[in-house]
Amino acid sequence: MGEIRKGNNNNLPLEGTRVLEVSEGVAGPYCGRYLASMGAEVVKIERPPLGDWTREIGPFIEGIRDGDNSALYSYNNQGKKSVLLDWTSVNGMENLQSLVPEFDILIEDWDLNFRDDIGIERTELVDSNPGLIEISVTPFGLSGPYARWKSSPLVQLALGGYLYLTGERGKEPLMLPGRQPDYLTGLNATAAIHIALWERERSGTGQFLEMSMLETLATLHQFTMEMTTFEGVLRMRNGNQWQKESSFASYGITTLPCSDGYVCFGISTEDQWERLCAMIGREDLIDDPNYDTRIKRADNSEYLDGLLTEWIADRTRREIFVETSEIWGLPTAPILDMSEVVKDEQFLFRNIFQDQVLGPGKTVTFPKYPYIASEMEPRIGNPPALGEHTEDVLGAK
Amino acid sequence: MVKSLISSGSLSDIRVLDLTRVWAGPLATRVMGDFGADIIKISDPRVQLLSTNGLNHKLNRNKRNIGIRLDIAEGREIFLGLVEKSDVVVENFRPRVMRNLKIDYEALKSVKSDIIFVSMPGFGVDGPYSEYPAFGTTAEAVAGIPSLIGYGDGVPISTGIAYGDPISGLNAITLIMAGLRMRNQTGRGQFIDIALSASPLCNLGEYVAGYSSSEKITIPSGNRSTEYSPQGAFRCRGRDQWIGISVLNDNEWMNLKNLVADPELDSLETSNLEQRKKNEEIIEGLIAKWTSRLDVIETVSLLQENGVRAGSVSSGAQLLEDPHLNDRDFFFDHEEEEYGWKRYDGNSIPGNRIPKSEWSGTNDVGANSKEILIDLLGYTESFCESLASKEAVYFGE
Repeated sequence: MGEIRKGNNNNLPLEGTRVLEVSEGVAGPYCGRYLASMGAEVVKIERPPLGDWTREIGPFIEGIRDGDNSALYSYNNQGKKSVLLDWTSVNGMENLQSLVPEFDILIEDWDLNFRDDIGIERTELVDSNPGLIEISVTPFGLSGPYARWKSSPLVQLALGGYLYLTGERGKEPLMLPGRQPDYLTGLNATAAIHIALWERERSGTGQFLEMSMLETLATLHQFTMEMTTFEGVLRMRNGNQWQKESSFASYGITTLPCSDGYVCFGISTEDQWERLCAMIGREDLIDDPNYDTRIKRADNSEYLDGLLTEWIADRTRREIFVETSEIWGLPTAPILDMSEVVKDEQFLFRNIFQDQVLGPGKTVTFPKYPYIASEMEPRIGNPPALGEHTEDVLGAK
Repeated sequence: MVKSLISSGSLSDIRVLDLTRVWAGPLATRVMGDFGADIIKISDPRVQLLSTNGLNHKLNRNKRNIGIRLDIAEGREIFLGLVEKSDVVVENFRPRVMRNLKIDYEALKSVKSDIIFVSMPGFGVDGPYSEYPAFGTTAEAVAGIPSLIGYGDGVPISTGIAYGDPISGLNAITLIMAGLRMRNQTGRGQFIDIALSASPLCNLGEYVAGYSSSEKITIPSGNRSTEYSPQGAFRCRGRDQWIGISVLNDNEWMNLKNLVADPELDSLETSNLEQRKKNEEIIEGLIAKWTSRLDVIETVSLLQENGVRAGSVSSGAQLLEDPHLNDRDFFFDHEEEEYGWKRYDGNSIPGNRIPKSEWSGTNDVGANSKEILIDLLGYTESFCESLASKEAVYFGE
């Protein structure tokens, strides 16, 4: 694989592409970060005096609360230029619009309320700038009954059907960590821009792309809606167990204690179930009429968890992970916390982390990208200080 | 290779050979198929594709299907013939499976020099865990996701949604498109290796950076957050009905407090975030007491009208009925031969020029084998029959 991990940093797919980012938070900026890593020049417009609000959100490097020390901001804005310009006034918006013709892509997060206040029509900028690809990234899109609602990651996960599925049955449903709806939408927006760029190469036309965070989540369910439409069964949350009803019922997606933490099993197919029985020395269960269907096994998950816990005994996560994977071919994994993730030998082997010196001269570790490509090595630049490039970009005008 | 620019889809000049199964891979190719790419799904005729649970119906629309035995010499010949006529090959097997089939980048490159070959294995194609099996739920575990979900008792909770998969699928769309763009610029193809387990890690950038700067790990406590308080899912009237509420600032809190109108709240100091964090448990209890008697949908409307971030915790069945998604014509209704009209999620990437009325449903194994062999590879009818008699190819029921 040596040849593969060489990468080629000189020639990236978005070299020469100019992106104007007028978007705060995570969704739009995560998209801008991805485009920058592929060679685009990304100019981020920030409002005076404080800039993107994520600059005010922790965790802060070395606990020093300063707009250039936010880990959340730094991660999502690597490799961009920062320009101070207040686009939220009518005058400022005019200044901003005068910049638009110099760019290929505009990422913005202007919801209906803001558009009404400032007086900017849905496709106004694309209409007057042929070739421009404008992506609007908002919680609910620019039409429909929720278009003027306020949102949060929890509210998105709730309406998008993710919240209902995580946590113990009967107890409060639990959210995914941090800002997952925003990250997912940022990835979806990146894909949308690549598709629109392909279209533009063919037809020469740009477009206005109205992306909704809620719709992004609604397309990222494996079978939540199909359990209802095909089997008439509601998909439920079951703590660390998988479904107990429907054809998706299964035993073996479960989390069990080891001597040093928890290990997650992902057994789902019939042949994996048989290997699991062999592994714990209970081949008799394979033909046992109490365990011969997926639903019966799911119903008996407590008993089966007990057997598996006995088999684990006082061994470590690592011992279980290696034995189940190497000898039995079963998908399992240690549940790692952040202190362990950053030392994980597979992630380190794949060189997924990058250190950057930020703020008060402290070295901080960030994940890069989840891929290795033979001709594309992500370019990781530093996050900009607030307004660092204002003169470079606006001064030229 | 330019097929025809007359077709209305943005990606109609792209052909993808799709060897992927389950979720992450099919999700990525589904998006491309919706936009008009010619997705040729290669299925092993011995493995059932469509079943009564709808999973593969949902994920494999707008794709053609050919049934090929890749482990038979004549089947391999067909596959390599198709590679020569394609732009992209995608697979998500364990690395060993591809090695046993002798399908790797070098082999593909020798028949199509600028092919884009994308692998989506659990841990990546190399490294200490590369041969270990994985599953969306185990992939999120090594990335640290469950360590950040829980009720505060130290027991990690997995997402209910096999979270490694959807993130990896979104990454794959971007990386395929970027690879194609580079090919058009440089004339070279490439090998892209996306690790299922690395995708969720890259959605946790602030946690990795936060840990590396402070060496402190985050212990989850339900839906509580350092930024929003109060925040949580609160039980409403009816069976397993919950409302998600996030309070970002003091104004929003005043509005919520006035609606809850509980004298006990007035007796507490709650006007700023610090005070609310201190009294969080009592505040949550009083909100829960208030919501327990209320209808969730009415209460969400009431809160949003008063500027409070709220959403109903939707199940799969409720998602299908969601008034906003329906108002925006998000869903795709399609009549399946055996199952009648079914409602599926649409595409959350905007800008598709192919109307949903022209989308096609899922084709079963081998349904398009003959047309692909005759039209694309120029095989004769009798040659097709001879291949079928050797079981190298399958023409469906």
